[in-house]
Amino acid sequence: MTFSERMLKIDRRIIFLVIGLCTLLPLLYPVGLPIKISPEVRSIYDYMEALPERSVFLLSIDFDPASKPELHPQAIALLRHAFRKNLRVVAMTLWVSGTGMADQLLTQVAQEMGKENGKDYVFLGWSPGGTAVIINMGQDLYTAFPSDYSGKATKGIPVLEGVQSLKDIAYAISLGAGNPGIEAWYVFGKDKYKFELGGGCTGVIAPGLYPLLRSGQINGLIGGLRGAAEYESLVGQKGRAVAGMDAQSATHFAIIVLVAMCNLFYFSLRHQQGQRQV
Amino acid sequence: MEATTLGAWMATGLTLFIFSFLYKDNPLFKLAEHLYVGVSVGYTIVKTWDSVIVHLIYRPIVDQGEIGLLIPVAIGLLMLTRYVPKAAWMSRYAFAFIVGLGSGLAIPRTISSFILKQVEDTVRPLLSMAGGEGLTFSMNLLNPASNLNAIIILIGVSSVLFYFFFSIEHSGPGKVVARTGIIFLMIAFGAAFGYTVMARMSLLIGRLTDLIEFSDASYGRPTLWLFILTVVALVLLGRRASSAPSQLE
Repeated sequence: MTFSERMLKIDRRIIFLVIGLCTLLPLLYPVGLPIKISPEVRSIYDYMEALPERSVFLLSIDFDPASKPELHPQAIALLRHAFRKNLRVVAMTLWVSGTGMADQLLTQVAQEMGKENGKDYVFLGWSPGGTAVIINMGQDLYTAFPSDYSGKATKGIPVLEGVQSLKDIAYAISLGAGNPGIEAWYVFGKDKYKFELGGGCTGVIAPGLYPLLRSGQINGLIGGLRGAAEYESLVGQKGRAVAGMDAQSATHFAIIVLVAMCNLFYFSLRHQQGQRQV
Repeated sequence: MEATTLGAWMATGLTLFIFSFLYKDNPLFKLAEHLYVGVSVGYTIVKTWDSVIVHLIYRPIVDQGEIGLLIPVAIGLLMLTRYVPKAAWMSRYAFAFIVGLGSGLAIPRTISSFILKQVEDTVRPLLSMAGGEGLTFSMNLLNPASNLNAIIILIGVSSVLFYFFFSIEHSGPGKVVARTGIIFLMIAFGAAFGYTVMARMSLLIGRLTDLIEFSDASYGRPTLWLFILTVVALVLLGRRASSAPSQLE
C-alpha cells in the first residue's frame, strides 16, 4: 500500500481529533485575530443607531436551542444595542420550542442593562399559526397576543403605548434558523405592512437570503457566528461570538488543508495507477 | 445542589455522550439521543397546551364568554376524526379550509416577494445615467449595485435557466451556455457548502465553550469527571462487546 493509499484510508477519527484540537486550542489560548465588519452587518447597526429614543423595536427570536451557538450571541448583541439606545423592545418568537430560551435571554440582558419589564420591554411569547401570526399582528397586535408571556394583558402595557399593529413598528429584526423566519417576516410582514426589516440567521441559510439583501427586501443580514462577532465588535461588548472567531478561523484553515491534501493524494494515486497500467 | 450546577452537569454529560458517537455508536449516545427527542416533544406539548388550549381557548371562552372561538375549535376537532375510520371524511372539511386559506394567503404574497421582486432586481440597467456625465459603467465588483455585477447576474441567471432547459440539445453554442450555467451552479453550491461548514463549526465551538466554562471548580468540574466517566464507560462497553462473540462461540 502506497503512502497516498494509506492517507486516503486514514481513520476518520483522526480527522475528528484534528478538528477538535483546532477548535479547542484557540478557545483556550485566544490570539485575537482582527474582525472586519461587513456592509450587511453595518447597515443593521447604522439603522438601529439612527432610530430616535423610545422607538419601537421588534425582535422575533425565531430559533430554538439547537441554533443557540450562532443566534444567541446575535440576540444578545442586538438587545444590548437596543437597550443602550433606549428603544422600546418588543420580543416574541414564532418557534414554540424556543420560548423558554427567548424569555431567559431577554430577561438576562434587560437585567444587565437595568431595564424594566412592561416599561422598557415586553416578551409576547409564542402564538400558534406560524406565518398567520405575522398577518394577524399586521391587523391587530392585541388579537395575535392578547397576553404577554407572563399572562398579563397586553393592552395597557406602557411599552406598547401607541402600538396597534406592525405598521407602528420602527424596525423589526427576525433572528431565524429556518421557517418561519426572515423570509416569512418579509413575505407576510414587511411586504404587506411596510416597516423596515433586518435579519439574522444561521450560516446554513445565509446564502439563500443574500438575494433578499441585494434586492433591498431586507436592509441588512447578520450571518452566523461570524456576523454575531461583527455586531459584538460594533456594539463594543465582545462576547462569545468574538471569542469563537479564532477557533472558527483555525478550523476553516484545517479544513482547507485537509481538502487540499485529499485532492493531492487522490490525484497522486490516480497518476500512480495510470503509470502501472502503462 | 443548585439548579445552575445541576444544569451544568446535565448539559456536560449529554454533550459528552453525544460526542462519544464520533468514536463509535454506543448506548451512551443512544441515551442522550432519546432524551433529546423525548424532552423536545414533551416541551412542545406542554407549551402548546398552555399557550393554545389554556390561554387562547379555555380562558377566553370560559372567563370572557367569547363563544365565537368555538367555530375554529370545531374545525380543529374535525381533524381528529382521522382516527375514526367511519368519520374520517369529516376531516376533509378541516383540511380543505386550511389548504384554501393557506393557499389564498401564501400564493399572492409569495409571487410578489420571490418572483416579481427578484425579477425586478435581476433586470437592472447595464449602464447608469450619472448627473452631467451621461452614461457610465461602474466596474466595482464589491458594490452589489455596480453595472459589472448586473452583467454577471444577467449571465448567471440566463445560463442557469438554459442549463435546465432540456428541450434543446446542449451542443455547439448551447453547450458553452450550459457549461457556463454549471460553473455558476458550482459556485453557488460551493458558497452554500462553505457556509454550512462554518455553521457546523460554530455549533462545535458553542459546545466546547460550554465544556470549558463547566470545567470550572464553581460547578464541581463536571467536564473533567464526566469525561473520565464517559471514557471508562466506552472502554467497558468495548470490552463487553468484544467478549460477547467469544462467549457465543
